[in-house]
Amino acid sequence: MKENVFIVHRSEIIRRGLALILQDYFKMEITQLNSAKDLSSFSGINNSIIILIMDAGGDQNSKAIDQFKKNNDVYLIGFYSEDEKQEPGNFFDYQLTELSSALQIQKLVQIIRKAGSKTKNGMQDNGELTLREKDVIKLIALGLSNKEIAEKLFISIHTVISHRKNITEKLGIKSISGLTVFAIMNNLLDIEDINPEELI
Amino acid sequence: MELLHKEDKMSSLISRNYNLLPVINRFGIRLGFKEKTIKEICNDNKIDVDFFLAIVNTYTDESYFPEAELLSFSPLLLIDYLKNTHKYYINYVLPKIERLLNQLLSSCTENCSSLKMISSFYQKYKTELLLHLQLEDEKVFPYIINLFEKRELNADGASIEVLENEHTNVEVKLSDLKNLIIRHMKPTYEDNAMNEFLMALFQFENDLNDHARIEDHILIVQVLELEKELGK
Repeated sequence: MKENVFIVHRSEIIRRGLALILQDYFKMEITQLNSAKDLSSFSGINNSIIILIMDAGGDQNSKAIDQFKKNNDVYLIGFYSEDEKQEPGNFFDYQLTELSSALQIQKLVQIIRKAGSKTKNGMQDNGELTLREKDVIKLIALGLSNKEIAEKLFISIHTVISHRKNITEKLGIKSISGLTVFAIMNNLLDIEDINPEELI
Repeated sequence: MELLHKEDKMSSLISRNYNLLPVINRFGIRLGFKEKTIKEICNDNKIDVDFFLAIVNTYTDESYFPEAELLSFSPLLLIDYLKNTHKYYINYVLPKIERLLNQLLSSCTENCSSLKMISSFYQKYKTELLLHLQLEDEKVFPYIINLFEKRELNADGASIEVLENEHTNVEVKLSDLKNLIIRHMKPTYEDNAMNEFLMALFQFENDLNDHARIEDHILIVQVLELEKELGK
């Protein structure tokens, strides 16, 4: 997967400093932005790992970030100034401060890269659906909710959601009607089982 | 791509990016520019040249945000433009895609069930897209027009961010449609017919992205400013 690294901060000194520290250690291209507003221009990125180091005190442009999350693995790092109160973030996945050492910053990127490669490997077990995933896709196509699917297959809702995520990653199809079409095209389901007017 | 300026020749605009052909048509501009500049052609057609440049540059450069002074034109102009674009989709692009889809279907002689499923999925997509366009035409645009003419916020307090939040479902379906074909289609079709259909989908997806960018980068920016000014 391609990697995109953004540093978003009002201070040019901080932007450049962070970029230098990272590039000392990693071969990576880094986009430096003055304001989170400019993230909107990058909404076309897909199938990438996106690492965002952002000024925790600045605007966050959650709209652009949500857009990223649709098609990418996004890792958010909040960058705090020393006097800012650090609340355990619900917005950020990780934290750095002005006083973080170069080593801490580099370690953090390593952790993220490891997490990123894990999901990638999970996806690459030949791209075929597992039997369980086929069960789930059938029930999705029949119009069942996550809760109903969980009850029917005796698994937790959490597991259903994780199956759905894997299915979407493997097939490149997100919508229920798209998955229904896939199920029928691949004979997982008979067209008679569903009402084509309603579900497709 | 480099941004376009008032003094550039109109003919060079089209040579640089022929995808702008339907865009200039929406302004009432037609071919046969001779040596005229963008500014001259706009004057001839009584078009606000800043407005024209804001639009064509949004198509030209994905990261383009018009400077504040370029946003001084009335959003009502923009709404007219967007409505024209909707008409272009409804009256020209969608029928064209459907024609290609029908050609594709008739090119299939046996085992055509997959293609038929693709066709029903397209119909589903089209229905949703039309609903979305209708929502903009009948709810979102009138709200904005009212906002600028009467300077009144919505009675129920719904701001533009709430109204203009529904691009995504439609985008997902178009992407699903492409992936169903590219990744999962069984080859029971005629290649050229399929390629034409698929290329039309790609082109349309690009158009829609540009269209959404105009809404997000220009229209919504203007409306948010005014909502703020009116005390939202």
